[in-house]
Amino acid sequence: MKIRRPTNVRTRLTLWYVGILAVLLVLYIALVFIFQYALLQRQIYHDEIVDVETVEGLLYFDQNGVLQLQQNYHSHPPSHLLVDRLMEVRDSSGTILYQSDNLGGQTLGGFPHPGEGVGSFDERIVRTSDGTRVSLISHVHVMQQRNMLIRLGYSLTPLFERMLQFLGLLLVALPVALLLAGYAGYEIAKRALNPLEQMAARAEQITENNLHDRLEIENAHDELGQMARVFNQLLERLDQAFAQLKRFTADAAHELRTPLASLRTVGEVALQEASGPDEYREAIGSILEETGRLNQTIEGLLLLARAETSAPASKGQLVYLPELVTEILQMLGALLEERNIRVIEDNSELRRRSVRADRILVRAAFLNVLHNAVKFSPNDSTLFVKFAMVGATEEFAEVIVQDEGPGLALGEYDLVFDRFFTGCREETLSKGGSGLGLSIAKLALERSGGRIYFDKQSTQGARCVIRLPLSEQDPEVRA
Amino acid sequence: MPGLQPRAKILIIEDDRKMANALISGIEAAGYEVVAASSAEEGFFLVHSLQPDLILLDLTLPHRNGLDILRQIRREGVDVRVMILTSHSAEQDRVEGLESGADDYLGKPFSFPELIARIRALLRRVLPPAFLGPIQIGDLKIDVNERTAFRADLRLDLTPREFDVLLYLTENRGRTVSREMLAKDVWRETSRFTPIDNVIDVQVARLRKKIDDPFPVKLLQTVRGLGFSLREPQT
Repeated sequence: MKIRRPTNVRTRLTLWYVGILAVLLVLYIALVFIFQYALLQRQIYHDEIVDVETVEGLLYFDQNGVLQLQQNYHSHPPSHLLVDRLMEVRDSSGTILYQSDNLGGQTLGGFPHPGEGVGSFDERIVRTSDGTRVSLISHVHVMQQRNMLIRLGYSLTPLFERMLQFLGLLLVALPVALLLAGYAGYEIAKRALNPLEQMAARAEQITENNLHDRLEIENAHDELGQMARVFNQLLERLDQAFAQLKRFTADAAHELRTPLASLRTVGEVALQEASGPDEYREAIGSILEETGRLNQTIEGLLLLARAETSAPASKGQLVYLPELVTEILQMLGALLEERNIRVIEDNSELRRRSVRADRILVRAAFLNVLHNAVKFSPNDSTLFVKFAMVGATEEFAEVIVQDEGPGLALGEYDLVFDRFFTGCREETLSKGGSGLGLSIAKLALERSGGRIYFDKQSTQGARCVIRLPLSEQDPEVRA
Repeated sequence: MPGLQPRAKILIIEDDRKMANALISGIEAAGYEVVAASSAEEGFFLVHSLQPDLILLDLTLPHRNGLDILRQIRREGVDVRVMILTSHSAEQDRVEGLESGADDYLGKPFSFPELIARIRALLRRVLPPAFLGPIQIGDLKIDVNERTAFRADLRLDLTPREFDVLLYLTENRGRTVSREMLAKDVWRETSRFTPIDNVIDVQVARLRKKIDDPFPVKLLQTVRGLGFSLREPQT
């Protein structure tokens, strides 16, 4: 069977609240009722005992030897219970000596049990022949050397009636109380959830065009305020990401347009002005060089996209960094020879541990960093590449690439990782490059759980620090 | 070497007119017979009527995907080599293309000398491999087995990488070799976003210093915008 669940939190909250309250109230009513009943019954017994004591003093045998009760006691004490008092007195043989009038000839409790009422007050509940339940107390009283069993009781009917009334009252009050509580709960939930609705309405209006809008925070310390704050932080990050994306798109367009512009100009000028095949050749060569630049930028963008969507590092391959660096340095060999740059590699501290990462991305990162270092190294200088294990539990591989070049300007330490940043100094600009290399390196390394930064402490040349988490297990010891 | 063998027929299936025209004139100039189709249907018809030796297939065609045609050609068992030209150069596109029955895959934009080199390589597959004896260009002699090079009987002192570059240029003598080809085939660099053009330029400059600078006749030429070429200068 399918029960339709109420969709809004407010109704659900109220229903839960009312449900739990109902269960608690029913339990409460049951407990109160039982307690009250027991209490009243004890009270009756107590009254009966007191009554027995009183009656003992009031019983006497008249001249005919018939047991009588002094009736003048009726008005004192003014207890209405006395009117309802049922009493029977028997002698030790069971013969009825006295019966109160209101018994109407019925016996009270039948033939005595052996030992009934001897030395104590026996309590029990009996039923008279007309069906009335009576709370009965028996006590043996010695009067003029005769053992007399006094039985005294009260009908329980009035008690039952009163208890029933009491229960009725409680049961009538229950739904009323629940209704009231439900209404109150509903209203409270409404008030509590109201800011949420406002937030939802506000959030609904926020689109990519007004991401800078924020939710109002009424009380920053309560739960809703906290939620609003978290939500605002999310908006902030989204806003930044969007701004970055817009800037990136604009930058990319600019970077693509610049070579396009020179392509166009060179082509147009050649068509208008060139007079011979050599000049055409020159123009076309220049155009092709620009397309190379264009293509490199596009490949860089694709690599960035790859890095952005790359799988988690756990799925990568094992990469032994010194091997990777050696491979890259071999590729750059001609440059190193030409410029007479000496490379000093120190991997004594790495203990042959590998990292796990997307090899293509990590290779691109190291290629860019090393190529940069070579590019900015002066002739006849030295390039240091040092490998180490760092971190509290030596969980990172660290690679430091230190060149003897001009180093970074003070404000450039973070800027160098921005997309399309190519430096402002003339010597830097003249080196060319797409300006994507280091941002690809940064993204690629971060995606592999690592990081890259330039050490500000470095006084001579640039010192690039790369950290990558070492792989947990290193299956084979490398030869 | 056109003329020595019957001209191979190449079918270009490419919807971009400009690209198709450039390819036609370029490949014709390299000595092949070229026909172009601008749609999948036309191309498919020509595969049967023309029986080309090689198809240059663009993957993004109107109406029908290039891979569909490729699969159909392979299903029908047509004996033809297929080279895919496409701007989708992600790894999985490449794999999918090759698995569908392509013989080679070249990402756009490509360098034209590389295209020609690959066409040549594909059409040559049936022929015996190039001989491994001494090769001579002008007074430059290269012994592939010994990995030595001489110019005017003087032994040239080359590093292994320099020799590899020289050998590659020699194998493609008379033709232009682009930097991309060198990066791919000599440096084995597969990523296309790699700033190693300057490495290649420096390497070639160093090679030139050794094989050309001391001699009056220059063999190693730079073709601006294209790459390098090793040839005897025409008089």
